[in-house]
Amino acid sequence: MSLFEPFTIPYMQRALVEVLVLGALAGAVGVLVVLRRLAFVGDALTHTVFPGIVIAHLLGRSILLGALAFGVLTAVLLTVLGGHRRVGNDTALAILLTSFFSLGVVLISRTRGFTADLTVFLFGRVLAIDRTDLVQTLAVAAVAAVVLAVLHKELVLRAFDPEAAAAMGYRTGRLDLALNLLIALVVVAAVEAVGTVLVIALIVVPAAAARLLTDRVGAMTALACLLGAAGGWLGLAVSYEVSVGYDLRLAAGATIVVVLVGLFGLAAAVAPLRRRWATRKGLGNPMGVPQ
Amino acid sequence: MSQFVLDAFGDGFARRALLEAVMVGALCGAVGVHVLLRRLPFFTMALGHATFPGVVLAALLGISLFAGAAAFGAVVVVVVALLGARDRVDDTSAVGVTLSGAFALGVLLLSAQAGFSRDLTAYLVGSIVTVQPSDLVTTAVVGAAVLAVLAALHKELVLGAFDRGGLAALGYPVLVLDVVLLLVVEAVVVTSIPAVGTILAVALIVAPAATARLWTERLRATMALSAALGAASGVVGLAISLQWRVAAGATIVLVAAAMFAVSLVVAPRHGLLAHRASPVSGRA
Repeated sequence: MSLFEPFTIPYMQRALVEVLVLGALAGAVGVLVVLRRLAFVGDALTHTVFPGIVIAHLLGRSILLGALAFGVLTAVLLTVLGGHRRVGNDTALAILLTSFFSLGVVLISRTRGFTADLTVFLFGRVLAIDRTDLVQTLAVAAVAAVVLAVLHKELVLRAFDPEAAAAMGYRTGRLDLALNLLIALVVVAAVEAVGTVLVIALIVVPAAAARLLTDRVGAMTALACLLGAAGGWLGLAVSYEVSVGYDLRLAAGATIVVVLVGLFGLAAAVAPLRRRWATRKGLGNPMGVPQ
Repeated sequence: MSQFVLDAFGDGFARRALLEAVMVGALCGAVGVHVLLRRLPFFTMALGHATFPGVVLAALLGISLFAGAAAFGAVVVVVVALLGARDRVDDTSAVGVTLSGAFALGVLLLSAQAGFSRDLTAYLVGSIVTVQPSDLVTTAVVGAAVLAVLAALHKELVLGAFDRGGLAALGYPVLVLDVVLLLVVEAVVVTSIPAVGTILAVALIVAPAATARLWTERLRATMALSAALGAASGVVGLAISLQWRVAAGATIVLVAAAMFAVSLVVAPRHGLLAHRASPVSGRA
Protein backbone atom coordinates (compact mmCIF):
# COMPACT_ATOMS: atom_id res chain seq x y z
CA MET A 1 0.00 0.00 0.00
CA SER A 2 1.30 3.43 -0.87
CA LEU A 3 0.74 6.47 1.31
CA PHE A 4 1.67 8.94 -1.44
CA GLU A 5 0.79 7.48 -4.80
CA PRO A 6 -3.02 8.05 -4.60
CA PHE A 7 -2.47 11.76 -3.95
CA THR A 8 -1.08 12.50 -7.42
CA ILE A 9 -4.71 12.69 -8.60
CA PRO A 10 -6.15 16.24 -8.24
CA TYR A 11 -9.37 15.26 -6.41
CA MET A 12 -7.38 13.16 -3.96
CA GLN A 13 -5.03 16.11 -3.39
CA ARG A 14 -7.93 18.40 -2.55
CA ALA A 15 -9.40 15.74 -0.25
CA LEU A 16 -6.03 15.36 1.46
CA VAL A 17 -5.61 19.11 2.08
CA GLU A 18 -9.16 19.25 3.42
CA VAL A 19 -8.76 16.40 5.91
CA LEU A 20 -5.28 17.54 7.02
CA VAL A 21 -6.53 21.05 7.83
CA LEU A 22 -9.75 19.83 9.44
CA GLY A 23 -8.00 17.04 11.32
CA ALA A 24 -5.51 19.44 12.88
CA LEU A 25 -8.12 22.11 13.71
CA ALA A 26 -10.66 19.64 15.09
CA GLY A 27 -7.91 18.00 17.13
CA ALA A 28 -6.99 21.32 18.77
CA VAL A 29 -10.61 22.27 19.54
CA GLY A 30 -11.32 18.66 20.54
CA VAL A 31 -8.85 18.89 23.42
CA LEU A 32 -11.04 21.56 25.02
CA VAL A 33 -14.16 19.53 24.20
CA VAL A 34 -12.75 16.45 25.91
CA LEU A 35 -11.39 18.38 28.92
CA ARG A 36 -14.79 20.04 29.41
CA ARG A 37 -16.72 16.83 28.61
CA LEU A 38 -18.64 18.55 25.85
CA ALA A 39 -18.71 15.67 23.36
CA PHE A 40 -22.50 15.86 23.34
CA VAL A 41 -22.36 19.58 22.44
CA GLY A 42 -20.20 18.71 19.44
CA ASP A 43 -22.64 16.01 18.42
CA ALA A 44 -25.56 18.41 18.84
CA LEU A 45 -23.93 21.10 16.69
CA THR A 46 -23.28 18.67 13.86
CA HIS A 47 -27.03 18.01 13.72
CA THR A 48 -28.37 21.51 14.35
CA VAL A 49 -26.60 23.10 11.36
CA PHE A 50 -28.64 20.77 9.12
CA PRO A 51 -31.75 23.01 8.74
CA GLY A 52 -29.43 25.93 7.90
CA ILE A 53 -27.90 23.88 5.11
CA VAL A 54 -31.32 22.83 3.82
CA ILE A 55 -32.74 26.37 3.86
CA ALA A 56 -29.65 27.74 2.09
CA HIS A 57 -29.93 24.92 -0.46
CA LEU A 58 -33.64 25.65 -1.07
CA LEU A 59 -33.07 29.41 -1.40
CA GLY A 60 -30.01 28.92 -3.60
CA ARG A 61 -27.79 30.80 -1.14
CA SER A 62 -24.36 29.87 0.20
CA ILE A 63 -24.58 26.66 2.20
CA LEU A 64 -21.73 27.83 4.38
CA LEU A 65 -23.68 30.93 5.45
CA GLY A 66 -26.78 28.87 6.23
CA ALA A 67 -24.78 26.47 8.37
CA LEU A 68 -22.99 29.37 10.06
CA ALA A 69 -26.28 31.10 10.96
CA PHE A 70 -27.72 27.97 12.58
CA GLY A 71 -24.40 27.11 14.22
CA VAL A 72 -24.28 30.50 15.93
CA LEU A 73 -27.98 30.26 16.86
CA THR A 74 -27.39 26.86 18.48
CA ALA A 75 -24.31 28.02 20.34
CA VAL A 76 -26.32 30.89 21.86
CA LEU A 77 -29.38 28.71 22.66
CA LEU A 78 -27.17 26.07 24.30
CA THR A 79 -25.47 28.64 26.51
CA VAL A 80 -28.88 30.07 27.56
CA LEU A 81 -30.91 26.84 27.94
CA GLY A 82 -28.13 25.09 29.88
CA GLY A 83 -28.76 27.46 32.78
CA HIS A 84 -32.39 26.40 33.43
CA ARG A 85 -32.68 24.58 36.74
CA ARG A 86 -35.36 22.03 35.93
CA VAL A 87 -34.08 21.25 32.42
CA GLY A 88 -30.72 19.47 32.58
CA ASN A 89 -27.96 20.44 30.19
CA ASP A 90 -28.04 17.19 28.25
CA THR A 91 -31.84 17.24 28.11
CA ALA A 92 -31.75 20.67 26.50
CA LEU A 93 -29.10 19.40 24.09
CA ALA A 94 -31.05 16.29 23.10
CA ILE A 95 -34.24 18.26 22.42
CA LEU A 96 -32.45 21.02 20.52
CA LEU A 97 -30.45 18.52 18.48
CA THR A 98 -33.37 16.35 17.45
CA SER A 99 -35.84 19.17 16.82
CA PHE A 100 -33.43 21.16 14.64
CA PHE A 101 -32.49 18.02 12.76
CA SER A 102 -36.19 17.19 12.30
CA LEU A 103 -36.84 20.67 10.97
CA GLY A 104 -34.19 20.02 8.34
CA VAL A 105 -35.66 16.62 7.48
CA VAL A 106 -39.20 18.05 7.19
CA LEU A 107 -38.01 20.87 4.92
CA ILE A 108 -35.95 18.61 2.71
CA SER A 109 -38.62 15.90 2.52
CA ARG A 110 -40.66 18.33 0.39
CA THR A 111 -38.00 18.26 -2.31
CA ARG A 112 -37.07 15.54 -4.73
CA GLY A 113 -33.82 13.64 -4.31
CA PHE A 114 -34.51 13.51 -0.56
CA THR A 115 -32.49 10.41 0.31
CA ALA A 116 -29.44 11.36 -1.75
CA ASP A 117 -29.22 14.80 -0.09
CA LEU A 118 -29.54 13.33 3.38
CA THR A 119 -26.81 10.80 2.73
CA VAL A 120 -24.42 13.50 1.51
CA PHE A 121 -25.10 15.56 4.61
CA LEU A 122 -24.44 12.63 6.91
CA PHE A 123 -21.40 11.17 5.21
CA GLY A 124 -20.07 14.05 3.16
CA ARG A 125 -18.48 13.87 -0.23
CA VAL A 126 -14.86 14.42 0.60
CA LEU A 127 -13.77 13.09 -2.80
CA ALA A 128 -15.98 15.58 -4.65
CA ILE A 129 -14.98 18.89 -3.06
CA ASP A 130 -13.93 21.59 -5.49
CA ARG A 131 -11.59 24.56 -5.19
CA THR A 132 -14.32 26.88 -3.83
CA ASP A 133 -15.23 24.43 -1.05
CA LEU A 134 -11.59 24.17 -0.14
CA VAL A 135 -11.11 27.95 0.02
CA GLN A 136 -14.24 28.32 2.18
CA THR A 137 -13.07 25.62 4.55
CA LEU A 138 -9.63 27.19 4.83
CA ALA A 139 -11.12 30.63 5.54
CA VAL A 140 -13.42 29.35 8.32
CA ALA A 141 -10.63 27.21 9.72
CA ALA A 142 -8.32 30.25 9.80
CA VAL A 143 -10.87 32.28 11.77
CA ALA A 144 -11.34 29.40 14.23
CA ALA A 145 -7.57 28.99 14.59
CA VAL A 146 -7.10 32.70 15.38
CA VAL A 147 -9.90 32.66 18.00
CA LEU A 148 -8.42 29.51 19.52
CA ALA A 149 -4.91 31.01 19.64
CA VAL A 150 -6.12 34.24 21.26
CA LEU A 151 -8.37 32.61 23.89
CA HIS A 152 -6.49 29.35 24.49
CA LYS A 153 -5.06 30.24 27.89
CA GLU A 154 -8.41 31.50 29.19
CA LEU A 155 -10.33 28.50 27.85
CA VAL A 156 -7.91 26.04 29.45
CA LEU A 157 -8.13 27.90 32.76
CA ARG A 158 -11.93 27.82 32.52
CA ALA A 159 -11.79 24.07 31.89
CA PHE A 160 -9.71 23.27 34.96
CA ASP A 161 -10.71 25.91 37.44
CA PRO A 162 -13.88 27.89 36.72
CA GLU A 163 -13.79 29.61 40.13
CA ALA A 164 -10.28 30.91 39.57
CA ALA A 165 -11.23 32.09 36.10
CA ALA A 166 -14.21 33.96 37.53
CA ALA A 167 -12.14 35.36 40.40
CA MET A 168 -9.55 36.67 37.95
CA GLY A 169 -12.30 38.67 36.30
CA TYR A 170 -12.98 36.54 33.24
CA ARG A 171 -16.62 36.26 32.27
CA THR A 172 -17.05 32.47 32.27
CA GLY A 173 -20.40 32.77 30.49
CA ARG A 174 -18.68 34.53 27.59
CA LEU A 175 -15.87 31.96 27.53
CA ASP A 176 -18.49 29.18 27.35
CA LEU A 177 -20.15 30.98 24.48
CA ALA A 178 -16.77 31.39 22.78
CA LEU A 179 -16.04 27.66 23.05
CA ASN A 180 -19.50 26.75 21.75
CA LEU A 181 -18.93 29.13 18.83
CA LEU A 182 -15.52 27.57 18.17
CA ILE A 183 -17.06 24.10 17.98
CA ALA A 184 -19.71 25.54 15.69
CA LEU A 185 -17.01 27.00 13.40
CA VAL A 186 -15.25 23.64 13.13
CA VAL A 187 -18.53 21.93 12.34
CA VAL A 188 -19.42 24.55 9.72
CA ALA A 189 -15.99 24.36 8.11
CA ALA A 190 -16.17 20.61 7.90
CA VAL A 191 -19.77 19.56 7.53
CA GLU A 192 -20.29 20.05 3.82
CA ALA A 193 -17.10 18.27 2.87
CA VAL A 194 -16.91 15.42 5.31
CA GLY A 195 -20.40 14.97 6.79
CA THR A 196 -21.70 15.12 10.36
CA VAL A 197 -20.60 11.68 11.48
CA LEU A 198 -17.00 12.37 10.53
CA VAL A 199 -16.97 15.80 12.18
CA ILE A 200 -17.89 14.47 15.60
CA ALA A 201 -15.29 11.72 15.24
CA LEU A 202 -12.59 14.25 14.22
CA ILE A 203 -13.38 16.38 17.27
CA VAL A 204 -13.67 13.71 19.96
CA VAL A 205 -11.55 10.70 18.98
CA PRO A 206 -8.03 12.23 18.46
CA ALA A 207 -8.36 14.35 21.60
CA ALA A 208 -9.57 11.39 23.68
CA ALA A 209 -6.62 9.32 22.37
CA ALA A 210 -4.15 12.15 23.16
CA ARG A 211 -5.64 12.38 26.65
CA LEU A 212 -4.64 8.76 27.19
CA LEU A 213 -1.05 9.44 26.20
CA THR A 214 -0.09 12.64 27.99
CA ASP A 215 -0.87 14.76 31.02
CA ARG A 216 0.16 18.12 29.62
CA VAL A 217 -2.33 20.31 27.78
CA GLY A 218 0.26 21.58 25.28
CA ALA A 219 1.47 18.09 24.41
CA MET A 220 -2.10 16.84 24.31
CA THR A 221 -3.07 19.55 21.81
CA ALA A 222 -0.07 18.84 19.57
CA LEU A 223 -0.73 15.11 19.71
CA ALA A 224 -4.44 15.53 18.98
CA CYS A 225 -3.68 17.70 15.92
CA LEU A 226 -1.17 15.13 14.72
CA LEU A 227 -3.49 12.16 15.28
CA GLY A 228 -6.40 13.92 13.59
CA ALA A 229 -4.35 14.77 10.50
CA ALA A 230 -2.66 11.35 10.40
CA GLY A 231 -6.01 9.56 10.71
CA GLY A 232 -7.36 11.61 7.82
CA TRP A 233 -4.38 10.84 5.61
CA LEU A 234 -4.27 7.15 6.45
CA GLY A 235 -8.04 6.78 6.08
CA LEU A 236 -8.01 8.35 2.61
CA ALA A 237 -5.10 6.16 1.51
CA VAL A 238 -6.75 2.98 2.82
CA SER A 239 -10.10 3.83 1.27
CA TYR A 240 -8.45 4.54 -2.12
CA GLU A 241 -6.25 1.44 -2.00
CA VAL A 242 -9.10 -0.95 -1.10
CA SER A 243 -11.54 0.65 -3.54
CA VAL A 244 -9.12 0.60 -6.48
CA GLY A 245 -7.00 -2.42 -5.64
CA TYR A 246 -9.63 -4.82 -4.34
CA ASP A 247 -12.78 -3.45 -5.98
CA LEU A 248 -14.47 -3.13 -2.57
CA ARG A 249 -15.90 0.38 -2.33
CA LEU A 250 -15.20 1.79 1.12
CA ALA A 251 -16.77 5.20 1.87
CA ALA A 252 -13.85 7.62 2.42
CA GLY A 253 -15.36 9.47 5.40
CA ALA A 254 -16.32 6.30 7.24
CA THR A 255 -12.89 4.77 6.61
CA ILE A 256 -11.24 7.82 8.20
CA VAL A 257 -13.43 7.40 11.30
CA VAL A 258 -12.62 3.71 11.60
CA VAL A 259 -8.87 4.49 11.28
CA LEU A 260 -9.20 7.18 13.99
CA VAL A 261 -10.97 4.75 16.32
CA GLY A 262 -8.21 2.23 15.56
CA LEU A 263 -5.61 4.85 16.63
CA PHE A 264 -7.64 5.43 19.80
CA GLY A 265 -7.59 1.67 20.48
CA LEU A 266 -3.81 1.68 20.01
CA ALA A 267 -3.47 4.61 22.42
CA ALA A 268 -5.64 2.79 24.97
CA ALA A 269 -3.41 -0.27 24.61
CA VAL A 270 -0.07 1.56 25.12
CA ALA A 271 -1.33 4.01 27.77
CA PRO A 272 -0.71 1.64 30.73
CA LEU A 273 2.88 0.99 29.52
CA ARG A 274 3.57 4.70 29.21
CA ARG A 275 2.21 5.40 32.66
CA ARG A 276 4.40 2.71 34.20
CA TRP A 277 7.43 4.22 32.43
CA ALA A 278 6.56 7.74 33.58
CA THR A 279 6.13 6.59 37.18
CA ARG A 280 9.48 4.81 37.14
CA LYS A 281 11.21 7.90 35.77
CA GLY A 282 9.61 9.86 38.58
CA LEU A 283 7.84 12.16 36.16
CA GLY A 284 4.74 11.78 38.26
CA ASN A 285 1.44 13.20 37.44
CA PRO A 286 1.44 16.98 36.91
CA MET A 287 -2.33 17.24 36.51
CA GLY A 288 -2.95 15.36 39.73
CA VAL A 289 -5.18 12.83 38.06
CA PRO A 290 -5.75 9.79 40.31
CA GLN A 291 -4.03 6.82 38.66
CA MET B 1 -59.57 18.85 14.91
CA SER B 2 -61.13 15.42 15.54
CA GLN B 3 -62.65 15.43 12.05
CA PHE B 4 -59.24 16.32 10.62
CA VAL B 5 -57.63 13.46 12.53
CA LEU B 6 -60.32 10.96 11.40
CA ASP B 7 -59.95 12.05 7.78
CA ALA B 8 -56.21 11.69 7.87
CA PHE B 9 -56.40 8.11 9.14
CA GLY B 10 -58.93 6.78 6.62
CA ASP B 11 -56.67 4.21 4.95
CA GLY B 12 -55.32 0.89 6.18
CA PHE B 13 -51.69 1.96 6.15
CA ALA B 14 -52.58 5.14 8.02
CA ARG B 15 -54.43 3.16 10.73
CA ARG B 16 -51.40 0.92 11.19
CA ALA B 17 -49.16 3.97 11.36
CA LEU B 18 -51.49 5.54 13.94
CA LEU B 19 -51.43 2.45 16.14
CA GLU B 20 -47.63 2.28 15.92
CA ALA B 21 -47.27 6.00 16.69
CA VAL B 22 -49.47 5.72 19.80
CA MET B 23 -47.66 2.64 21.11
CA VAL B 24 -44.13 3.92 20.41
CA GLY B 25 -44.95 7.38 21.75
CA ALA B 26 -46.37 6.04 25.02
CA LEU B 27 -43.50 3.57 25.46
CA CYS B 28 -40.79 6.17 24.81
CA GLY B 29 -42.52 8.64 27.11
CA ALA B 30 -42.67 6.14 30.00
CA VAL B 31 -39.01 5.11 29.67
CA GLY B 32 -37.91 8.72 29.08
CA VAL B 33 -38.51 9.69 32.72
CA HIS B 34 -35.87 7.17 33.82
CA VAL B 35 -33.50 8.36 31.08
CA LEU B 36 -33.78 11.93 32.39
CA LEU B 37 -33.45 10.96 36.06
CA ARG B 38 -30.20 9.15 35.27
CA ARG B 39 -28.94 11.78 32.81
CA LEU B 40 -28.72 9.28 29.98
CA PRO B 41 -29.80 11.31 26.91
CA PHE B 42 -26.36 11.23 25.29
CA PHE B 43 -26.06 7.52 25.97
CA THR B 44 -29.48 6.97 24.38
CA MET B 45 -28.35 8.95 21.37
CA ALA B 46 -25.22 6.80 21.11
CA LEU B 47 -27.29 3.62 21.37
CA GLY B 48 -29.41 4.76 18.47
CA HIS B 49 -26.33 5.25 16.30
CA ALA B 50 -24.51 2.23 17.58
CA THR B 51 -27.22 -0.29 16.70
CA PHE B 52 -26.58 0.62 13.07
CA PRO B 53 -23.80 -1.89 12.24
CA GLY B 54 -25.99 -4.57 13.82
CA VAL B 55 -28.82 -3.70 11.46
CA VAL B 56 -26.51 -3.74 8.44
CA LEU B 57 -24.95 -7.06 9.46
CA ALA B 58 -28.38 -8.58 10.06
CA ALA B 59 -29.52 -7.41 6.63
CA LEU B 60 -26.40 -8.91 5.01
CA LEU B 61 -26.83 -12.20 6.85
CA GLY B 62 -30.57 -12.28 6.24
CA ILE B 63 -31.54 -12.54 9.92
CA SER B 64 -33.99 -10.38 11.90
CA LEU B 65 -33.04 -6.70 11.98
CA PHE B 66 -34.33 -6.50 15.54
CA ALA B 67 -31.98 -9.29 16.63
CA GLY B 68 -29.01 -7.61 14.92
CA ALA B 69 -29.73 -4.19 16.40
CA ALA B 70 -30.39 -5.59 19.87
CA ALA B 71 -27.22 -7.70 19.85
CA PHE B 72 -25.01 -4.80 18.75
CA GLY B 73 -26.67 -2.46 21.23
CA ALA B 74 -25.81 -4.89 24.02
CA VAL B 75 -22.17 -4.92 22.87
CA VAL B 76 -22.15 -1.11 23.00
CA VAL B 77 -23.58 -1.10 26.53
CA VAL B 78 -20.61 -3.23 27.60
CA VAL B 79 -17.98 -1.19 25.67
CA VAL B 80 -19.20 2.12 27.09
CA ALA B 81 -19.26 0.67 30.60
CA LEU B 82 -15.70 -0.67 30.24
CA LEU B 83 -14.25 2.47 28.59
CA GLY B 84 -15.96 4.73 31.10
CA ALA B 85 -14.46 2.71 33.96
CA ARG B 86 -10.90 3.71 32.87
CA ASP B 87 -9.74 6.69 34.85
CA ARG B 88 -8.50 8.62 31.82
CA VAL B 89 -11.60 8.33 29.65
CA ASP B 90 -14.62 10.15 31.02
CA ASP B 91 -18.11 8.85 30.23
CA THR B 92 -18.89 11.53 27.65
CA SER B 93 -15.76 10.88 25.61
CA ALA B 94 -16.30 7.12 25.88
CA VAL B 95 -19.80 7.54 24.49
CA GLY B 96 -18.53 9.90 21.77
CA VAL B 97 -15.82 7.50 20.61
CA THR B 98 -18.18 4.50 20.67
CA LEU B 99 -20.91 6.41 18.89
CA SER B 100 -18.84 7.62 15.96
CA GLY B 101 -16.85 4.40 15.67
CA ALA B 102 -19.87 2.11 15.61
CA PHE B 103 -21.77 4.32 13.20
CA ALA B 104 -18.82 4.56 10.81
CA LEU B 105 -18.43 0.79 10.94
CA GLY B 106 -22.06 0.47 9.82
CA VAL B 107 -21.53 2.94 6.97
CA LEU B 108 -18.40 1.08 5.92
CA LEU B 109 -20.21 -2.24 5.82
CA LEU B 110 -23.05 -0.68 3.90
CA SER B 111 -20.89 1.23 1.41
CA ALA B 112 -19.28 -2.04 0.36
CA GLN B 113 -22.78 -3.09 -0.77
CA ALA B 114 -24.82 -1.69 -3.61
CA GLY B 115 -28.10 0.20 -3.04
CA PHE B 116 -26.60 2.50 -0.48
CA SER B 117 -28.80 5.46 0.34
CA ARG B 118 -32.39 4.25 0.21
CA ASP B 119 -32.37 1.79 3.12
CA LEU B 120 -30.16 4.06 5.15
CA THR B 121 -32.59 6.95 5.13
CA ALA B 122 -35.49 4.77 6.29
CA TYR B 123 -33.29 3.55 9.09
CA LEU B 124 -32.15 7.02 10.13
CA VAL B 125 -35.37 8.99 10.04
CA GLY B 126 -37.96 6.21 10.15
CA SER B 127 -40.74 5.22 7.82
CA ILE B 128 -43.86 4.87 9.91
CA VAL B 129 -46.28 4.78 6.99
CA THR B 130 -44.74 1.55 5.71
CA VAL B 131 -45.00 -0.15 9.10
CA GLN B 132 -46.02 -3.82 8.80
CA PRO B 133 -48.45 -5.82 10.99
CA SER B 134 -45.43 -7.80 12.21
CA ASP B 135 -43.80 -4.54 13.41
CA LEU B 136 -46.99 -3.74 15.31
CA VAL B 137 -46.90 -7.11 17.05
CA THR B 138 -43.20 -6.62 17.95
CA THR B 139 -43.89 -3.17 19.34
CA ALA B 140 -46.82 -4.46 21.39
CA VAL B 141 -44.87 -7.40 22.83
CA VAL B 142 -41.70 -5.41 23.61
CA GLY B 143 -43.82 -2.58 24.99
CA ALA B 144 -45.71 -4.89 27.34
CA ALA B 145 -42.46 -6.47 28.53
CA VAL B 146 -40.78 -3.10 29.10
CA LEU B 147 -43.76 -1.69 30.99
CA ALA B 148 -43.90 -4.86 33.12
CA VAL B 149 -40.21 -4.51 34.04
CA LEU B 150 -40.59 -0.79 34.78
CA ALA B 151 -43.64 -1.45 36.99
CA ALA B 152 -42.03 -4.38 38.82
CA LEU B 153 -38.75 -2.57 39.52
CA HIS B 154 -40.19 0.94 39.87
CA LYS B 155 -39.16 1.48 43.49
CA GLU B 156 -35.64 0.09 43.02
CA LEU B 157 -34.97 2.01 39.80
CA VAL B 158 -36.14 5.31 41.28
CA LEU B 159 -34.10 4.82 44.43
CA GLY B 160 -31.09 3.96 42.27
CA ALA B 161 -31.52 7.20 40.33
CA PHE B 162 -31.64 9.38 43.44
CA ASP B 163 -29.47 7.53 45.93
CA ARG B 164 -27.18 4.80 44.64
CA GLY B 165 -25.44 4.48 47.97
CA GLY B 166 -28.76 3.93 49.73
CA LEU B 167 -29.75 1.27 47.22
CA ALA B 168 -26.47 -0.59 47.72
CA ALA B 169 -26.77 -0.29 51.51
CA LEU B 170 -30.23 -1.88 51.33
CA GLY B 171 -28.60 -4.90 49.71
CA TYR B 172 -29.83 -4.48 46.14
CA PRO B 173 -27.48 -5.47 43.28
CA VAL B 174 -26.83 -1.95 41.94
CA LEU B 175 -24.86 -2.99 38.88
CA VAL B 176 -27.49 -5.53 37.79
CA LEU B 177 -30.22 -2.91 38.13
CA ASP B 178 -28.13 -0.45 36.06
CA VAL B 179 -27.67 -2.99 33.29
CA VAL B 180 -31.38 -3.89 33.38
CA LEU B 181 -32.30 -0.23 32.92
CA LEU B 182 -29.79 0.22 30.07
CA LEU B 183 -31.17 -2.87 28.37
CA VAL B 184 -34.73 -1.56 28.76
CA VAL B 185 -33.66 1.73 27.11
CA GLU B 186 -31.97 -0.27 24.36
CA ALA B 187 -35.13 -2.35 23.77
CA VAL B 188 -37.21 0.81 23.44
CA VAL B 189 -34.73 2.44 21.02
CA VAL B 190 -34.63 -0.67 18.83
CA THR B 191 -38.43 -0.93 18.85
CA SER B 192 -38.83 2.73 17.84
CA ILE B 193 -36.51 2.52 14.84
CA PRO B 194 -39.14 1.49 12.23
CA ALA B 195 -41.37 4.38 13.30
CA VAL B 196 -39.08 7.36 13.90
CA GLY B 197 -35.61 6.10 13.02
CA THR B 198 -32.50 5.92 15.14
CA ILE B 199 -31.69 9.63 15.39
CA LEU B 200 -35.18 10.74 16.28
CA ALA B 201 -35.97 7.96 18.76
CA VAL B 202 -33.96 9.99 21.27
CA ALA B 203 -36.31 12.93 20.80
CA LEU B 204 -39.39 10.86 21.53
CA ILE B 205 -37.71 9.50 24.66
CA VAL B 206 -36.40 12.81 26.01
CA ALA B 207 -38.86 15.53 24.95
CA PRO B 208 -42.15 14.20 26.44
CA ALA B 209 -40.41 13.34 29.71
CA ALA B 210 -38.76 16.77 29.93
CA THR B 211 -42.13 18.41 29.20
CA ALA B 212 -43.87 16.34 31.89
CA ARG B 213 -41.20 17.28 34.43
CA LEU B 214 -42.02 20.94 33.88
CA TRP B 215 -45.67 20.37 34.83
CA THR B 216 -45.55 18.03 37.81
CA GLU B 217 -43.28 17.12 40.70
CA ARG B 218 -44.63 13.65 41.44
CA LEU B 219 -42.87 10.80 39.68
CA ARG B 220 -45.84 8.55 38.88
CA ALA B 221 -47.76 11.54 37.52
CA THR B 222 -44.68 12.52 35.47
CA MET B 223 -44.53 9.06 33.92
CA ALA B 224 -48.24 8.96 33.10
CA LEU B 225 -48.16 12.48 31.66
CA SER B 226 -44.98 11.71 29.71
CA ALA B 227 -46.51 8.58 28.16
CA ALA B 228 -49.67 10.52 27.26
CA LEU B 229 -47.63 13.36 25.71
CA GLY B 230 -45.55 10.87 23.74
CA ALA B 231 -48.66 9.20 22.32
CA ALA B 232 -50.24 12.59 21.58
CA SER B 233 -47.11 13.76 19.71
CA GLY B 234 -47.33 10.57 17.65
CA VAL B 235 -50.97 11.13 16.68
CA VAL B 236 -50.75 14.87 15.97
CA GLY B 237 -47.42 14.60 14.14
CA LEU B 238 -48.68 11.77 11.98
CA ALA B 239 -51.88 13.65 11.11
CA ILE B 240 -49.90 16.76 10.09
CA SER B 241 -47.45 14.72 8.05
CA LEU B 242 -50.22 12.85 6.18
CA GLN B 243 -52.09 16.08 5.51
CA TRP B 244 -49.13 18.07 4.17
CA ARG B 245 -46.99 15.19 2.90
CA VAL B 246 -43.86 15.83 4.91
CA ALA B 247 -41.59 13.29 6.60
CA ALA B 248 -43.62 11.59 9.37
CA GLY B 249 -40.94 10.76 11.94
CA ALA B 250 -39.48 14.26 11.84
CA THR B 251 -42.92 15.88 12.16
CA ILE B 252 -43.70 13.77 15.25
CA VAL B 253 -40.45 14.98 16.80
CA LEU B 254 -41.24 18.60 15.98
CA VAL B 255 -44.64 18.28 17.69
CA ALA B 256 -42.98 16.79 20.79
CA ALA B 257 -40.39 19.59 20.77
CA ALA B 258 -43.09 22.26 20.33
CA MET B 259 -44.92 20.91 23.40
CA PHE B 260 -41.68 21.23 25.33
CA ALA B 261 -40.99 24.76 24.09
CA VAL B 262 -44.51 25.96 25.02
CA SER B 263 -44.29 24.28 28.43
CA LEU B 264 -40.89 25.82 29.06
CA VAL B 265 -42.53 29.24 28.78
CA VAL B 266 -45.96 28.74 30.38
CA ALA B 267 -45.60 25.86 32.88
CA PRO B 268 -47.01 26.99 36.25
CA ARG B 269 -44.01 26.46 38.56
CA HIS B 270 -40.97 25.91 36.39
CA GLY B 271 -41.87 27.92 33.29
CA LEU B 272 -39.93 31.02 32.33
CA LEU B 273 -43.01 33.23 32.82
CA ALA B 274 -43.57 31.90 36.34
CA HIS B 275 -39.93 32.61 37.18
CA ARG B 276 -40.23 36.14 35.94
CA ALA B 277 -43.56 36.82 37.68
CA SER B 278 -42.55 35.56 41.14
CA PRO B 279 -38.92 34.56 41.37
CA VAL B 280 -39.27 33.49 45.03
CA SER B 281 -42.08 30.95 44.58
CA GLY B 282 -40.56 29.82 41.33
CA ARG B 283 -37.41 28.80 43.09
CA ALA B 284 -39.15 27.08 46.02
